[in-house]
Amino acid sequence: MSDIPFSNPGWAGNTGEFDLTEKEVRGDDFVGDRPKDGGHPSGAGTMPYMLVDKDPDAPLFEGEYRQRFEKILTRYPDKRAALLPVLSLAQELRGHVSAESMDEVAGLLELSPAYVRGVTTFYTMYNKRAVGRYLVQVCTNISCNLCGADEVLQAFLRYTDAEMGETSKDGNFTVIEAECLAACGFPTCVQINSRYYENVTPADVAQIIEHLKPEGES
Amino acid sequence: MPEMVTLTIDGTEVKVPKGTTILEAAKQVGKVIPHYCYHPGMSSPAMCRMCLVDVEGAPKPQASCVTTVMENQVVDTESSASVANRRGVLEFYLVNHPLDCPICDMSGECDLQDFVHAEGRDHGRSVEPKRVFGRDDFGGDVLFYGDRCVMCTRCVRFMSEVEQDERLTVVERGNRSVIDTFFEKGLDGTEWHGNIVDICPVGALVSKEFLHKTRAWDLDHTPSICASCSQGCNIELHTAENLVQRVKPRENLEVNAWWMCDYGRHDYEWINHGQRIEAPLVRDATGSSRTTGWKDALTSLLEGASGLNGTSVQIVVSARGSNEDLAALTKLQDVMGGGDKVFRVSQADEESALPGFPTLARRKDLGPNVGGAELLGISRVGESDGTGGLEAVKDHDGIIIVLGDNLEDQDETFGANAGLYVYLGTHECAATKAAHLVLPVTTFAEQEGTFTNHEGRIQRFWPALQPPGMARPAWLILGAVLAELSEGVAPRSAAEAFMNLAEAVPALRGLTYEGMGLSGSVSETAQHASLD
Repeated sequence: MSDIPFSNPGWAGNTGEFDLTEKEVRGDDFVGDRPKDGGHPSGAGTMPYMLVDKDPDAPLFEGEYRQRFEKILTRYPDKRAALLPVLSLAQELRGHVSAESMDEVAGLLELSPAYVRGVTTFYTMYNKRAVGRYLVQVCTNISCNLCGADEVLQAFLRYTDAEMGETSKDGNFTVIEAECLAACGFPTCVQINSRYYENVTPADVAQIIEHLKPEGES
Repeated sequence: MPEMVTLTIDGTEVKVPKGTTILEAAKQVGKVIPHYCYHPGMSSPAMCRMCLVDVEGAPKPQASCVTTVMENQVVDTESSASVANRRGVLEFYLVNHPLDCPICDMSGECDLQDFVHAEGRDHGRSVEPKRVFGRDDFGGDVLFYGDRCVMCTRCVRFMSEVEQDERLTVVERGNRSVIDTFFEKGLDGTEWHGNIVDICPVGALVSKEFLHKTRAWDLDHTPSICASCSQGCNIELHTAENLVQRVKPRENLEVNAWWMCDYGRHDYEWINHGQRIEAPLVRDATGSSRTTGWKDALTSLLEGASGLNGTSVQIVVSARGSNEDLAALTKLQDVMGGGDKVFRVSQADEESALPGFPTLARRKDLGPNVGGAELLGISRVGESDGTGGLEAVKDHDGIIIVLGDNLEDQDETFGANAGLYVYLGTHECAATKAAHLVLPVTTFAEQEGTFTNHEGRIQRFWPALQPPGMARPAWLILGAVLAELSEGVAPRSAAEAFMNLAEAVPALRGLTYEGMGLSGSVSETAQHASLD
């Protein structure tokens, strides 16, 4: 078919193999425990999916992450322009962008901490507070809502035993509402970390949660 | 000469340089187009949407703060569309505004209040509950009332563009957006943040010092010059009940533009200091003193001086004295026999310039008229904290005249050996104990006069307060003495006193009060210096 020497596991368009199973596409550990090697430097600011295990005390940035940080800087004319991907990288590493992270990123990019705070708080995809291992974002915008998103949201809250926007007691789940996830053809759409679950009904929720829980946990 | 463009604004033709914005051009015809986010000293984001005007031929209303003028343009700021636009925008501004004008410091000088009163709806149509932020301490002198904010971001831009220390930012987005600092790291340590209170068009940023002190409409505004350093920032003294309540900068693009430093802004309590000397004090040979009238006081001054013909006259002046005061004293000194002239002034460790307007700085010399004193040949003595340096004067046995210097570091022996020791000042202290005459003089806030700033610009100030008791300007007192001694005519006004000075000092020749107006004139020596 194609001799492009790379295979993106999340993308089947090049091969025409639309009937792949999810396991075949993404592998077993699509939200699982990838080694914390920071990924390939060419991935720069983006990763195919976020690591699940975060370390809020991880340094900004060392090792592979430092390489990715340097790589990001090379892509922009000045340091200010690199702010968004660098914040993403910090969040990928630490799970959320805390005040300390903003301050450190500001130091790295020679910006004022207040400016970094303004940018961080503007974008909803930066978590300003610590979230659980899995951040469950249930779309409740029009299409999903018409197809029962509210029930799906309630089901997630019930199964994870978490308050809306709060982290469950076991630290595994944070369930929040999301505005449109741009998957209106497949309502209800739920984004868990960086993976989409489409056509979710309340009946599917238990299975999804079971699948996410790491082995050995009930 | 820049290329000129002719356009018509509201039926009036106006000629302005190419590149001028419609909003600035409208000011030329006396039309203030309502606006919040625009400020002439900063960039224009055109985000408040208040200044939209109709331009003939344009498909939609144009933001006049960023649209530059074009030849033969026809602008209508009062078209029904412009008015309807402002009405609509103002209604949105009031959706979350608390309308707490009765307890708001800005009330009476608030752009939101003014514009809504002029063109807004008399009732809002919003029925939803208002969003509430509450208030926040920004550190320094600034308190933030989030609900009053119209999100013009002038304060954010001042900190990033003019002070260039980006302490403020817009946090969150949309309906939740609000001005904030980086968590607890507020404005503390910045030296120009008082300006964000001035440029806030509403009552969102208020001064803690002025908070609930008095109402804006009870204040009298008097143009003046900041007396805190030798920069000579143009200011307004806002007074009520014969007290300075606050100090605000006054526009002068040659000196301070629209800004002033926090040091000068908050350094005014000394003007209000009570317990002033209110009547002349004459001390007789036994050492006891009595209050007296001006005639008696000046008579005894002349009597005291007449017995000391030929002795040298040492004078100590303050850098807060006006040009007229200092000139009257130096002239009197010359007539009486001449001698050393000295002044003392406190100095800051270093200048702190405003990065976005670098010709403006809090200068090292913390006195407004160091330039004037030096122009008159008065020499600087003492330490950098304004003390010492008077060893020669202290035990002088001729005539000592002190004007304005408060002599706080001197003890009771100061002037004890003098044949005649005249103290002209505002407060008594240990060092005035030996004075034969203690004469009450006015501060710069109570008299008319001029200061010479660090670059030789002579600038006028006007009386803002009633002087206490019998206190008079020093030029008036000394001018009367001088007229008596030299059989001349005493000046009757500060303008006359200045004319005498301008005739005597070649560098000032040709300058007049009228010519100086509100923004001052640069003296000739300074002009030569800048040409070299």
